[in-house]
Amino acid sequence: MDIVIDHLPFLFQGAYYTLLITVISMLFGSIIAAIVAVARLKGAPPIRWIARAYVSIIRGTPTLVQIIIVYYGLVDFGIRLQPLPAAIIALSISIGAYLSETLRGALQSIPKGQMEAAYASGLTPVQTMRRIIFPQAIRIAIPPAGNTFIGMLKETSLVSVITVTELLRSAQLLIAQYYVYMPFYLSIALMYWIMSTGFSFLLERWEKKLSIYV
Amino acid sequence: MITIKHLSKRFEKLEVLKDINLEVENGEVITILGPSGSGKSTLLRCLNGLEDMASGEIEVAGSTVNTEDSKKKQLNAYRQIRLHSGMVFQQFNLYPHKTVLGNVIEALLTVRKWSKEKATKKGEALLERVGLSEKRDVYPSRLSGGQQQRVAIARALAVEPEVMLFDEPTSALDPELVGEVLAVIKELAKEGMTMVIVTHEMEFAREVADRVIFMDEGVVVEQGTPDSFFNQPKTERARKFLNKM
Ligand SMILES: Nc1ncnc2c1ncn2[C@@H]1O[C@H](COP(=O)(O)OP(=O)(O)OP(=O)(O)O)[C@@H](O)[C@H]1O
Ligand SMILES: [Mg+2]
Repeated sequence: MDIVIDHLPFLFQGAYYTLLITVISMLFGSIIAAIVAVARLKGAPPIRWIARAYVSIIRGTPTLVQIIIVYYGLVDFGIRLQPLPAAIIALSISIGAYLSETLRGALQSIPKGQMEAAYASGLTPVQTMRRIIFPQAIRIAIPPAGNTFIGMLKETSLVSVITVTELLRSAQLLIAQYYVYMPFYLSIALMYWIMSTGFSFLLERWEKKLSIYV
Repeated sequence: MITIKHLSKRFEKLEVLKDINLEVENGEVITILGPSGSGKSTLLRCLNGLEDMASGEIEVAGSTVNTEDSKKKQLNAYRQIRLHSGMVFQQFNLYPHKTVLGNVIEALLTVRKWSKEKATKKGEALLERVGLSEKRDVYPSRLSGGQQQRVAIARALAVEPEVMLFDEPTSALDPELVGEVLAVIKELAKEGMTMVIVTHEMEFAREVADRVIFMDEGVVVEQGTPDSFFNQPKTERARKFLNKM
């Protein structure tokens, strides 16, 4: 146990990167999701088709493969990314596809009457989207998106393969140095668990706060 | 205030409105009656562009839409119409994520770009008018159907419309809540608001209307004063309809 405590700062740094990658990817992923969801619902046919292909490809391939393609594969096109940016780009693209499906479902679930009431009172389609439809859809999308977010936290362990020293890899590095397995693995498992439940807790509170109008 | 010329409307193969011609004077209150599926809602929705016409021309509050015009010209005209008309729906369609006041002032803030203070003042006055001042900070889900519909009326009135369009404003309400909504509409009639009201409330139609329009299968079958329509319907179809009521 002492050996773990001695190296806690190093593990914490790994946990910090795990959090950082999760939050930033989730942020960019949400932006991608919003654009893709609207493109699929309101876009002209070619745009709709591209958005659909994107979602289909990402959902139909392993995240690990996507990460490897972004990091190693893009080198063939002369794009050489640092591990951390590559990790964030790959995970943002991946999460964006899943979130866009969640958001699309939420947008479609808003009754047509909402749009009609807004149009009838003079709002433009863009104003209607921004002021009436999106705010309602986001509230509906938050619980499933929260689950995606927590899944994401765990998926970040995949980027250890492209040498990003997040939580898993920081444990692996220590193990390689000291040849002690269980204490390190158990500690990071505990740290993942604490982070996941922490986020679950925050999300629940947020949902409650947003549900006052129901 | 409203002129409809040769308006036709199809959904795919189904001809829903067939060569409708109609005029509504300034300050006139029209009620549209007719069996289910006769095209009443569709006609109303064509007036502010929630449905687009297959052919024909409408003029509402000074803006004209003709199906021969360019798409852009039509959209602009519909937009003008929407800025000068208000619509009240059967299902209220209040914005659930906004408070009562937020619902009423949304168009003032977003479309008219009024300041929050100015809009709030106006919104409060409108809520007073429909008797719901004390509900200003409540969310719609906490209101009865009748209260929700009164908020919806206040919301439609916010932009000082020249015409109000009502699509069965009381059909979704429990019987004991119908009266409070009809009272608000009657009040508007007294103030001289031009209104087109689709309704199944015969008593109300009789009382509030200057003119009754009877539709069936996409055509205006007959029209006249409430007295003449209800006492001496001219057509067989109208007689049948009234007997069933
Ligand atoms: N969006 C739509 N797509 C296809 N058909 C439609 C659509 N809206 C209405 N219709 C059809 O058009 C016809 C007229 O409908 P409309 O809603 O105008 O009738 P209505 O007179 O308002 O009836 P109700 O009293 O039941 O409200 C009906 O046959 C209806 O099924
Ligand atoms: Mg109808």
